[in-house]
Amino acid sequence: MTDLAPPAPGMLEDLRRRFFASPLQALVSLLSLGLIALVGWKLLNWALLSAVFDPSQGAEACHRAAGACWSVIAARWRIILFGLYPYEEQWRSALACVAVVAMTVLSCIPAFWTGRRIAAIWLAGTTVFYVLMKGGVLGLSYVGEESWGGLALTLFIFVATCLIGFPLSIVLALLRRSELPWISRTTGLIIDAVRSLPLISILFTFAIVLPFALPHWLQGDKLYRVIVGSALFFAAYQAEIVRGGMQGVAHGQGEAAMALGLSYWQRVSRILLPQAMRNALPATINQFVISFKETSLVVIVGFFEIIASGNAAYGTGEWRFAYAEVYTFIAFIYFVFVFSLSRYGAFLERRMSVGER
Amino acid sequence: MQLLKWGATAALALGLFQLSAPAQAAGGKTLEAVKARGVLNCPGHDGSYLGFAEVDDKGNWKGMDIDLCRAVATAVLGDPSKVKIVPISWAQRWPSLQSGDIDIIIKASGGTLSRDTELGLQFSNSYYLGTTKVMAHKELNLSSLKDADGGSICIPAGTSQEQQVAAYAQKLGIKLQPVVIEKTEELEQAYFSKRCDLYTQWGPVLAIARVAKGKVEDHVILPDVLAVEPEVMIVRQGDDNWVDVANWTLTALLFAEQEGITSKNVDEIRAKPTSPQVAKFLGATPGVGKGLGLSDDWAYNVIKKVGNYSEIFDNDLGKNSPYKMDRELTNLWNNGGVLFPLVID
Repeated sequence: MTDLAPPAPGMLEDLRRRFFASPLQALVSLLSLGLIALVGWKLLNWALLSAVFDPSQGAEACHRAAGACWSVIAARWRIILFGLYPYEEQWRSALACVAVVAMTVLSCIPAFWTGRRIAAIWLAGTTVFYVLMKGGVLGLSYVGEESWGGLALTLFIFVATCLIGFPLSIVLALLRRSELPWISRTTGLIIDAVRSLPLISILFTFAIVLPFALPHWLQGDKLYRVIVGSALFFAAYQAEIVRGGMQGVAHGQGEAAMALGLSYWQRVSRILLPQAMRNALPATINQFVISFKETSLVVIVGFFEIIASGNAAYGTGEWRFAYAEVYTFIAFIYFVFVFSLSRYGAFLERRMSVGER
Repeated sequence: MQLLKWGATAALALGLFQLSAPAQAAGGKTLEAVKARGVLNCPGHDGSYLGFAEVDDKGNWKGMDIDLCRAVATAVLGDPSKVKIVPISWAQRWPSLQSGDIDIIIKASGGTLSRDTELGLQFSNSYYLGTTKVMAHKELNLSSLKDADGGSICIPAGTSQEQQVAAYAQKLGIKLQPVVIEKTEELEQAYFSKRCDLYTQWGPVLAIARVAKGKVEDHVILPDVLAVEPEVMIVRQGDDNWVDVANWTLTALLFAEQEGITSKNVDEIRAKPTSPQVAKFLGATPGVGKGLGLSDDWAYNVIKKVGNYSEIFDNDLGKNSPYKMDRELTNLWNNGGVLFPLVID
């Protein structure tokens, strides 16, 4: 059989057709190109060519230079990454971050997708993280939660939120689909109530108002109250995503399973959830990305997560002027995490071929 | 109907909050609680408030407010390291104090009528006089704000400075063009890039901004004082003994400065007191601690381990700090300021 498609145009021809087909189009193309080049050059000049990298000259060199002052990062990166964690012990915080990242990466690999392996990885990962951060055993000195900070705290809040919030969201979604009206209505009410409150007010309530209402033994550390609040918020949104996925599964599937005599749990875990999660995957990844970025809101209740640590990093007499550099650095860290998350999401979608049926 | 329901819920939640707040405060014999705990809980900042609460390269808190907290901890527990600095935001300071998260607020906070009466708080004497001032570009050749008629002025949004500038300009009979910006970084950017001729702020922030830009000589801070805010230490209402401890710690710092007692010479002076008051103050003769529920060497410990008021000021804001600020009103009464120790008798 012969190939009937016209021959592919050369690169130049392709460019001409796409961007320079008419004089007006050519003008717009040239203007845009010029603008991009100008901005790109300015950025490059600021970020690299005129920038100061050598921290030994201190802030003085930066005042003279026209470009970025990366020496602030060289001088203060440990504040940004580890916050108020005791200086001599910061290697523990670094190792703990590595443990969390390793745990996440491992559990993303399909070979580890059996219940027992996932559970083992997460149990090991969280234990390692917790022991390293908090200490008090194995000769590690004790470091209270109020001293945790920087990237380690951001990761911890995110992972803990997902770890509690995700299973909770499935439970909420199943309850909301319950055939008993009082269960489905109550669950619906809870979900909608949480969803109609801003996350900030939920965090504020859990961190500061709850101690007035709860008995002392139930209060726990402020950090865990905030994590519970943020997990609840995550679960309320994710529950609706999961429910959407479930409603996309044809009715006949459940009825067929029932006809085969499968129990409720078998139907849910073997028939309903796998297909529902496949439907819900794009929105789920979205929700994970959003909650990673929303961890920065805990700054409002006085946690030294990465944004607050960044504020503290440029907040000295010496580095006061270098906030743009610190924020750029933090943005870069966020980008690395969120971009890998969304690329992984894209991989999953291809693997499960979400696009097709 | 819906609205009514929400209103009722909100009122109930607020009621709970109101009910439990005084309950906490009344039960709070803070001094005993701090002694039993062995550590004083103080507010830090969610980030950094230059000169008052900031973080050094090794992640340790420093600054004027932090050092005052260390002074109180030393008075009560004899050791400046027995503090826990809880990083909290501005909005969070009142509920944190009421819920017992922190024992005292030392966070560049002014004493105001509504805070005293509506929030159920109690103030110490003022430890710092915050003034609202105006900075100008040097090349404009201004000697006071009166010369700046028709100029533009950068003002932080949503602060009391907006009204202060308007009132002061009216008093002088001049017109100023306000440029109101929310975020401090942006505000300073606007002034330093000459979008405004003038820049008004709370005094320390202004002085620090001038230094941080690295070109101190290009800018003058005008002598006009638009307003004064006395910064105070704040405790829960109804804990008289605890506000006494705060007040007398402040007096110890100021009395030591007045008498020329520093962390360097305190041992010599204690061995050879210059007056009966000094002898009592440093615990060479008994009596300075008992009535407060503290040990007799509490003031000696504070001076020895933290320093007197001028030592603290010089290290955090003054000549040994990057900010090189003058004491101005925040000086002792015999140096042209308004600070004074209470009488040790």
